[in-house]
Amino acid sequence: MFRTDEIIKASKLPPEGVAMSRHIDYIYFIPILFVTIVGTFHMHFDLLAGDWDFWIDWKDRQWWPIVTPITAITFCAALQYYNWVNYRQPFGATICILALLAGKWVTIWAAWWWWSNYPYNFVMPSTLLPSAIVLDIVLLLTRNWTLTAVIGAWLFAILFYPTNWAIFAYSHTPVVIDGTLLSWADYMGFAYVRTGTPEYIRMIEVGSLRTFGGHSTMISSFFAAFASSLMYVLWWQFGKFFCTAYFYLTDDRQRTTKVHDIFAYATLAHSNKATGGKA
Amino acid sequence: MNAKHAFKLWMLGFCGMATLATTPILDVTPAFAHGERSQEPFLRMRTVNWYDTEWVGKSTTVNDVTELRGRFHLSEDWPRAVVKPNRTFINIGSPSSVFVRLSSKVNGTPMFVAGPMEIGRDYEYVVKLKARLPGHHHIHPMYAVKDAGPIAGPGGWMDIKGRYEDFTNPIKTLTGETFDSETKGTATGVMWHLFWAAVACFWVGFFMIRPMYLIRARVLAAYGDEILLDPVDRKVGIALLVFIVTVVTIGYLNADAQHPVTVPLQAGETKIKPLPVTPNPLSIEVTHAEYDVPGRALRMTIHATNNGTQPVSIGEFTTAGIRFTNKVGKAKLDPNYPAELVAADGLTMDNEAPIQPGQTVDIHIESKDVLWEVQRLVDILHDPDQRFAGLVMSWTESGERLINPVWAPVLPVFTRLGA
Repeated sequence: MFRTDEIIKASKLPPEGVAMSRHIDYIYFIPILFVTIVGTFHMHFDLLAGDWDFWIDWKDRQWWPIVTPITAITFCAALQYYNWVNYRQPFGATICILALLAGKWVTIWAAWWWWSNYPYNFVMPSTLLPSAIVLDIVLLLTRNWTLTAVIGAWLFAILFYPTNWAIFAYSHTPVVIDGTLLSWADYMGFAYVRTGTPEYIRMIEVGSLRTFGGHSTMISSFFAAFASSLMYVLWWQFGKFFCTAYFYLTDDRQRTTKVHDIFAYATLAHSNKATGGKA
Repeated sequence: MNAKHAFKLWMLGFCGMATLATTPILDVTPAFAHGERSQEPFLRMRTVNWYDTEWVGKSTTVNDVTELRGRFHLSEDWPRAVVKPNRTFINIGSPSSVFVRLSSKVNGTPMFVAGPMEIGRDYEYVVKLKARLPGHHHIHPMYAVKDAGPIAGPGGWMDIKGRYEDFTNPIKTLTGETFDSETKGTATGVMWHLFWAAVACFWVGFFMIRPMYLIRARVLAAYGDEILLDPVDRKVGIALLVFIVTVVTIGYLNADAQHPVTVPLQAGETKIKPLPVTPNPLSIEVTHAEYDVPGRALRMTIHATNNGTQPVSIGEFTTAGIRFTNKVGKAKLDPNYPAELVAADGLTMDNEAPIQPGQTVDIHIESKDVLWEVQRLVDILHDPDQRFAGLVMSWTESGERLINPVWAPVLPVFTRLGA
């Protein structure tokens, strides 16, 4: 079914080398890569889009669908660079969002429920997993990061709202409290006291992205798609910068050449061959 | 590095790790307060002057409904360093959501979203609370000002008995359904998260079952990516793409069908009229004020005129939720007001006689108690703007209460000799 045997043969590793590489795969992939992404991406995301993701009464039609995909696509793009350029593995975005959600759910249980006693529905996070898988699939199918920035990043942002509407539609059900119309989400934000987060902190439904008879979600989603596209390009380049090894080679005639090795490993021999020198 | 040095380092590290490891199992007393005393004095004294605060039903059982209510005056001496109250919100200072807030009214107007209030005016708030988490809780009214932060009012203890497991909060929606705020939407949310996590694990697992990193890196570097790009991957990718778009569409349409009537989040502004200004026959102006550091006393000289028809007796000076009373004010004290915030005999005057109708007098008032120290209001001396503000309460012979806001610069007195 797969080309595994062909790939292993091409790697020219002895059987014990192949076995060892699989061990390294698992050790590197789960305890190191995954946990590192949880730690770094979770913090990055919460600092930039945290409140929209923490609280049900921040999930509005305007800023939530803009801020969340734009913030989330950053690490996805960088991790896609790392996984694709170095290994041709198309799961950089998916693993990124999986790690983010792992961190999220640890926080929801430990910080919000166990420590602060807020109910789960009040702090339910949104999900970007379908968006991330689609982003990875677009990269796999196009094999081109520019096309992924144009098609994949747009799909990443556009899919966000409909995906999460299935989870949060109920929270826009109207209620009337003391003669005042509120959405259920507004009521939750009011009922569950947040001492340090008064109502005015919410950044919701403010701005000029409104037209089409009140359908501001569509405008927001398209704006998010456009911005995600730009963000994807920027963070792909960040990925490239941080995954590139910069070093110098000195050849037999003592000429020193600066080398940018985008693979960051294993190609030293190749470079030596090219320059006829040694590192 | 010799062996002895290495052992010392090892021992140091071991002790550090052992300390860290044992910390969670120690019987640590929980923190009860909210750092209200750490707020600077000018913030507490010169912004919101709280009075008549009541913690109704100090002992409740889970699901009982109780109230936190009172009044406040927005000081005329509002500090320059604090943003004006153009967007404000009456909040509750509590250790998490130990109560669920059922309703909040300021001057009779429901306050679900923030709104502006006027400096120099009075407001009355009533917050209806439903007991949720058992425990001994310190509850404050709070006045939150956008770009300035929350300003804590006086804190009182409220006890909740019973079991959290018994708590429910059913609310009827406008569409006729009844939602329990503790659980509504949780199962649906968790289900969708698990579903998408399973799909994502499938996608990653699809590549995990084959060599992932080292082998592929070697092949890529040596031969390029033609071998690595397996046609099966593309087929599975296309199938998954179609599957995801289909599920997202069905999920969206299904949610829309289940909840056909929805409204956006409400992000307006509450318009609240201040309480009407009641005629006050007593006028008070502070002509001099000083804070006696070693004596822990705020002394002020007031110039008071009684323009009314009845004699008036001064009985209380209150600031930052702290109350200083003499025998007149003490008789009017709410016995349920937290004793730790009251200096019942802390107010003295050089002239205790009632101010007669038509009379103008200069009175030296001293509010003296260790509370200045305990509540960290002594730090007024470290403020960038050394002033104070508060309310002077007095009573007519017929029992009518008169409230006069006062404010003035404060001069420090650092030694007894200077007193």
